[in-house]
Amino acid sequence: MKSWFNKGEHWIWFSASAVSISVVLVFGLLAMIAYKGLLHFWPHNVYDYQVSHSNGQIEQVVGELHDTKLKLVVDEEDSTIVHEVPEYLIKTGNRDVYGIDFKWINSRDLNEGATTVADKITVIERYQWGNVYGYLESLTVNGETIATGEEVEPVLQDLAEKGTALHEKIHHIEKTVMGGINYKIEALRLEQKKLESEDEYDAKTEAEFETKRAALNKEFVELQASMQILHDKADSLGEVTLTIAGNQKITVKIKQVVRFWQPNNMSLLSKVGFFFSSIGNFLTEDPREANTEGGVFPAIVGTVTMVLLMTILVTPMGVLAAIYMSEYAKDGPVLRLVRISINNLAGVPSIVFGIFGLGFFVYILGGSIDDLFYGYAAPSPVFGTPGLLWASLTMALLTLPVVIVSTQEGLSRIPRSLREGGLALGATKLETITRIVLPMATPAIMTGLILAIARAAGEVAPLMLVGVVKLAPALPIDFNAPFIHLENKFMHLGFHIYDVGFQSPNVEASQPLVYATSLLLVVIIVSLNLGAIMIRNRLRERYKSLGN
Amino acid sequence: MSGLTSFSMNRTSDKLSLENEEIAIEVKDWNLYYGSKQALSGVNMKLPKNRVTAFIGPSGCGKSTLLRCFNRMNDLIDSVSVEGSILLDNEDMYLKSMDVSALRRRVGMVFQKPNPFPKSIFENVCYGLRLQNIKDKQLLKETVEWALRGANLWEEVKDRLDENALSLSGGQQQRLCIARAIAIKPEVLLLDEPTSALDPISTLAVEELIFELKKEFTILIVTHNMQQAARVSDYTAFMYMGDLVEYTDTDSLFTNPKLKQTEDYISGRYG
Repeated sequence: MKSWFNKGEHWIWFSASAVSISVVLVFGLLAMIAYKGLLHFWPHNVYDYQVSHSNGQIEQVVGELHDTKLKLVVDEEDSTIVHEVPEYLIKTGNRDVYGIDFKWINSRDLNEGATTVADKITVIERYQWGNVYGYLESLTVNGETIATGEEVEPVLQDLAEKGTALHEKIHHIEKTVMGGINYKIEALRLEQKKLESEDEYDAKTEAEFETKRAALNKEFVELQASMQILHDKADSLGEVTLTIAGNQKITVKIKQVVRFWQPNNMSLLSKVGFFFSSIGNFLTEDPREANTEGGVFPAIVGTVTMVLLMTILVTPMGVLAAIYMSEYAKDGPVLRLVRISINNLAGVPSIVFGIFGLGFFVYILGGSIDDLFYGYAAPSPVFGTPGLLWASLTMALLTLPVVIVSTQEGLSRIPRSLREGGLALGATKLETITRIVLPMATPAIMTGLILAIARAAGEVAPLMLVGVVKLAPALPIDFNAPFIHLENKFMHLGFHIYDVGFQSPNVEASQPLVYATSLLLVVIIVSLNLGAIMIRNRLRERYKSLGN
Repeated sequence: MSGLTSFSMNRTSDKLSLENEEIAIEVKDWNLYYGSKQALSGVNMKLPKNRVTAFIGPSGCGKSTLLRCFNRMNDLIDSVSVEGSILLDNEDMYLKSMDVSALRRRVGMVFQKPNPFPKSIFENVCYGLRLQNIKDKQLLKETVEWALRGANLWEEVKDRLDENALSLSGGQQQRLCIARAIAIKPEVLLLDEPTSALDPISTLAVEELIFELKKEFTILIVTHNMQQAARVSDYTAFMYMGDLVEYTDTDSLFTNPKLKQTEDYISGRYG
């Protein structure tokens, strides 16, 4: 035993257990997020519950089992005994009828034996008011009933597909085509304001502008007309009536249907298909219903754009600073002070960077840009308001220390003999740095960028101050020149998690979305990092065997 | 092996004397300090053109430091200060107006440890040419072949010029570094213990190469190995504690040293 201790075996065991605990924690965390997040996309069975009330009435509750909690109840006769009574959270949907779409059922009131899997129940996902859970009754088109009972489902399938196609068309015209025209009209208005402020807006240009504007307006009106036709078409698709729990009827317009499914009558294969199409929708759709439903596409675009822009900004800044400090600056108290400051910069709370970004970038820098170049747009600010550029700059500043430190480390690892080799061939110091030292330091620079990306993509607090919003009206990247709109506000997955999870009016509905979005954020950060790691490994391969 | 016999033939055929030589580099009252510590004191010497001059001496005697003065490599060390003058073709290379890069193109250097760049063999050799903005592909190719032939490496690498230079063996890497140095056709070639990291066969290859190269270049070589100095050099300088103790033609120095100190060193009594 003594020799066991003397050999230091216990330390090996301690460190090994520390490692295993960390690994278990990390994978446990990921597994939990993945499980809870992915569960959201699975078509759950819908049950039919019988709940007895104290007045003897029996209520029918139909919905998905969402959550189970143990409630502590004091025994009625002996107050020293506390019972643990399970309570079930049921997602009943039909918000427009019931007012809320979740219901707690106490297991004491539940007639357990009578719970059945609701056969032929249909779940309809709507563009508004959430899901409908009910039995298909009849389908009416222009006041005429064209199908009842069993026949409804295939007809509804057909109509719903048409409805979705129409919806996509309308959405496309609204967002892309009309958005583009609006963008042009706005640009025209600003140009006019600009010319007016310079006193160059004479009769000739006015006429020119008017023709342009008239053309755009005409296009706009035409589009509106074609939109109206599409809307009428969607309206005339008809409506479907369902019987819901409590023998009530609910009527849903076909154009409101996103999709519908009958979870209890699906084969495993179609459930898997549904699962993946749900994930697809989540990734590609805009959010609906105050972000509690629909997808997160704008947040994905916002996050990735911001991170890439940040990378573009932070790389030159960090690399140049590191080169100066390790290759040119003379060692001394000043350099040491700068080094210490940079290392400490990494420890400054991120919200402080947010405040700095808002105060300096947005108000001072952005304000000056507006004064200098966009004076005609006043009082509405262009760059003097939080936006993509300022958010990326703030994040670049936040991640600057990481990039500087790892670049410096990389530079200091390049053997002296290689620098001398370059210099001995008549290269200047600059040529040696740019042609030999810097290329060989790229793996280290990439390491810095990997850390920077991970940090920036996950930050929320400073972004709230410098450009991230709950719901952005337009994407920061689109088809209108100049294609990337640096002044736009944007959405971000990290903020989306916070907003959906903690600012939402419908907590229960949004909870699975929080997990799903978290999972997505982790996946995005990991894939951005994997990309960077792959580049780094290729570079390392190229510069390997430097050690000798 | 023919190289070795030709060395001795060279030695016996004509008696060398500094007075009869054309001078490439002249060192005048040269002092060098690391901070306040003097590393070279009052060195005066004339280095003959198209000859091999060896610097020998115990570790820390300043022979490498002196060699690095000839292409101003010591400039890179902040604490170094120098006094005196070194003339390359009667031009003081330590003048402020001197273009150091241009000087280093005239005085090439090969280091103790092979230091090829992590690039292809071809790119390594034409690195110095690219620095001079030579873009003519034909010229680059010809020069690379010439330099690699000159460094006795062409036959071994001619089919894999695009391979990474780090894939070569240590001896090949060192010859590649020599090829890289001669590709820019310097006047003087400094060799700082070029074979200390090599096996005997590679060493022999490099020594034969030195003998070939002296037809075109003035070669200064620092070595720890006295047999090597005796084999390859025409003149030998013995240094001790920052002083140039004895400097004369190699035969005289090894067979008939004037000073006791030199005799002790070459006969292995210290150092």
